[in-house]
Amino acid sequence: MYIHATACISPQPTFNGDFFSTGAVINSGTHYMALEPDYMGSIPLGQVRRMGRSVRMATGAAMPLLQQFQVDGIILGTTDGGMGDCHRFLDQIMEYAEGTLTPTNFVQGAPGAPAGGLALMTRNSGYNNTHSNKGLSFENALIDAQLLLHEGVVRQLLVGCVEEISDAQFNIERVAGYVKESAGPAADLLGSRTPGTVNGEGAAMFILNAEPTGAYARVKDVATYSGDSMADLSLLIKEFITRNGLETTDVDVLLSGLNGDVRTDGLYEAGSQAMPDASVIPYKTLFGESPSASGFACWYAAQAIAGHRAPIGPITPAWPDPLRHVLVHNHFQGHQHGLILLSSVA
Amino acid sequence: MSKVVVTGMGVVSAIGIGVPANLQRLRAAQSGIRLPEHVGTRYAEHMMMGEVEASDADLFAQLNLADTHGITRTELLAFMAFREAVAQAGLTDTQISASDTALISATTVGGMVQAQALYDDAHAISNATEFAASYRSGAHTLRLAQGYRMRGYTDTINTACSSSANAIMIGARLLKAGRARRVIVGGTDSLSKYTVNGFNALQILSDVPTRPFSADRKGLSLGEGAAYLVLEREDDLSERKALACVSGYANRCDAYHPSSMSPEAIGVIGAMTGALQVAGLAPSDIDHVNTHGTGTQNNDYTELFGLEQVLGTVPPFFSTKSYTGHTLAAAGAVEAVFSILSILHGEVWPSLHFTSPIEGLHHSPNTQMLAGLDIRHVMSNSFGFGGNCSSVIYSKL
Repeated sequence: MYIHATACISPQPTFNGDFFSTGAVINSGTHYMALEPDYMGSIPLGQVRRMGRSVRMATGAAMPLLQQFQVDGIILGTTDGGMGDCHRFLDQIMEYAEGTLTPTNFVQGAPGAPAGGLALMTRNSGYNNTHSNKGLSFENALIDAQLLLHEGVVRQLLVGCVEEISDAQFNIERVAGYVKESAGPAADLLGSRTPGTVNGEGAAMFILNAEPTGAYARVKDVATYSGDSMADLSLLIKEFITRNGLETTDVDVLLSGLNGDVRTDGLYEAGSQAMPDASVIPYKTLFGESPSASGFACWYAAQAIAGHRAPIGPITPAWPDPLRHVLVHNHFQGHQHGLILLSSVA
Repeated sequence: MSKVVVTGMGVVSAIGIGVPANLQRLRAAQSGIRLPEHVGTRYAEHMMMGEVEASDADLFAQLNLADTHGITRTELLAFMAFREAVAQAGLTDTQISASDTALISATTVGGMVQAQALYDDAHAISNATEFAASYRSGAHTLRLAQGYRMRGYTDTINTACSSSANAIMIGARLLKAGRARRVIVGGTDSLSKYTVNGFNALQILSDVPTRPFSADRKGLSLGEGAAYLVLEREDDLSERKALACVSGYANRCDAYHPSSMSPEAIGVIGAMTGALQVAGLAPSDIDHVNTHGTGTQNNDYTELFGLEQVLGTVPPFFSTKSYTGHTLAAAGAVEAVFSILSILHGEVWPSLHFTSPIEGLHHSPNTQMLAGLDIRHVMSNSFGFGGNCSSVIYSKL
């Protein structure tokens, strides 16, 4: 399937295009917050105020695409989408001892709210699904789309991801040991040699169809694996490359989910073992960690394949030219691995 | 193309643990909706719910899990139903953990059933509780996968109350595309402070046991449960017998309101029509409808209106939510099991607590014990917040 348009709200100036002109923002600390636009022109102001953050970011990123492209369905991946609202509702329950509560946060806290909200705003009565599977949510959404396009029941889809950093989920991750005690500038993240990582958020949206003409990039294949014993991961990566008719030397870039967690970054060595010639480019120094982090990687890779490159800097290394195949390898907390193979259209 | 068939199923609900126990209570027309004993909410004193008749300790004892750290009730229910499903299908441990075995599960409340622990962890009140890794949607799927050493494709769906219908649909599509050899699909949800208060805030909970499709219906009764089905391609079975096939399915969006459905039943009609198309069936081929039938004003009117639009004359239909309560993300899978039992035994059980028909509509739910029927095709509906509407058709082999 082919990517025909993208939009991305993230901790980088990706939505307005400054990422490619002025360059990357080097975040510091443990929260890489999304740079949200003012949403003027894409969402009526009255509605923006009433939206939860995930619904707002998903809508803000998707509406410009939906205004331009007719789609037959909407598929999102999200795990922490709506968690701010969800926890506001839980707080009311606990702090008011199950008194009389307003349902707004309950409804907005449902992970399906962004995809349902987009359908509602655009009166789209086609296929609508939300994959909420921790670190594989975005890969699951892509595979759902791949199946639908293959079945020939849809022509064009909006597929994307959205995640938000909420105080509640941040605290849960912190007490569980998945956030760094303290974090310096992003450029130092991968050399930190400490446990935990930094959090990111935002929404990445894609218009996908089966037609190569005019496309940015091709999503050639997607695969997921889960399990605690990943001794043969390098072999699985090789199998994934060869089942797509490629040699491991054909992959130009391994877009790696390295996040600076000293306990689990070693798992990414499997990719380099499988493809020793590929350049390793990290992306969580730009976007932070989130369950759908690979959605932002997919945006980054598609843009690079289309020739859109950020100025070279401490966290934006040069991409090779020509750029034909990029493999996104992401794992989430060591248990769930996703592979997304993106290729040039020609 | 080879049919997608069901080779095993397991269910836990307010009317029993295991398929035989559930069937017995359906035949006896005995609801499981009562005052709950195990859910920690102040509404338990006066609000009837479909609670599984087992404490967490009972479930732990029945499961005998190697690792119990951080396991929630949502996961316990899932393990019970999963175990029954894979046993009936005759899957070996090696087959379950093979890389071509997929798991597609669904939940809404998930680990948030542990409300106090969640609150404490979310406010970083002290060190992490044992449940800190259990809250996120997807945690229960990972837990099942780890428990059974699964390493193939996993997915977790959260489209509210249509979640497990979508899980079943995705499982069938993975098999048809050849992306898996066998798929275990289903969902789980437990009664919780979070959902009781959520639906109460929406003012759609009934203070009496739910009365689906009755003019005097007062809302839904919440329930809990889990159900899993093993799906395979008929061509791969050789000697083994299948129970039924998944012949049609469709997912559409109502695109009308975040938490209620359009009076024109756009999504409902779209899902049912789409499922008939995939199955290659005419409306008159449907012999029985296992409705979403939540017992809310909005759902039951819209669903029955949609059924009349699509099917014309509606065959015997009922809502098993009058037995189990609304099991949320598990509902589509629980009702898949009941739909298949209807096919296997030629039975339709009575919808409970019905008093009088909805004004302006032309059909009433079945209130009799019907037996000896030849049920070839059952339509099962699931609708959820966000306008998510899904229909699945199960057919006799």
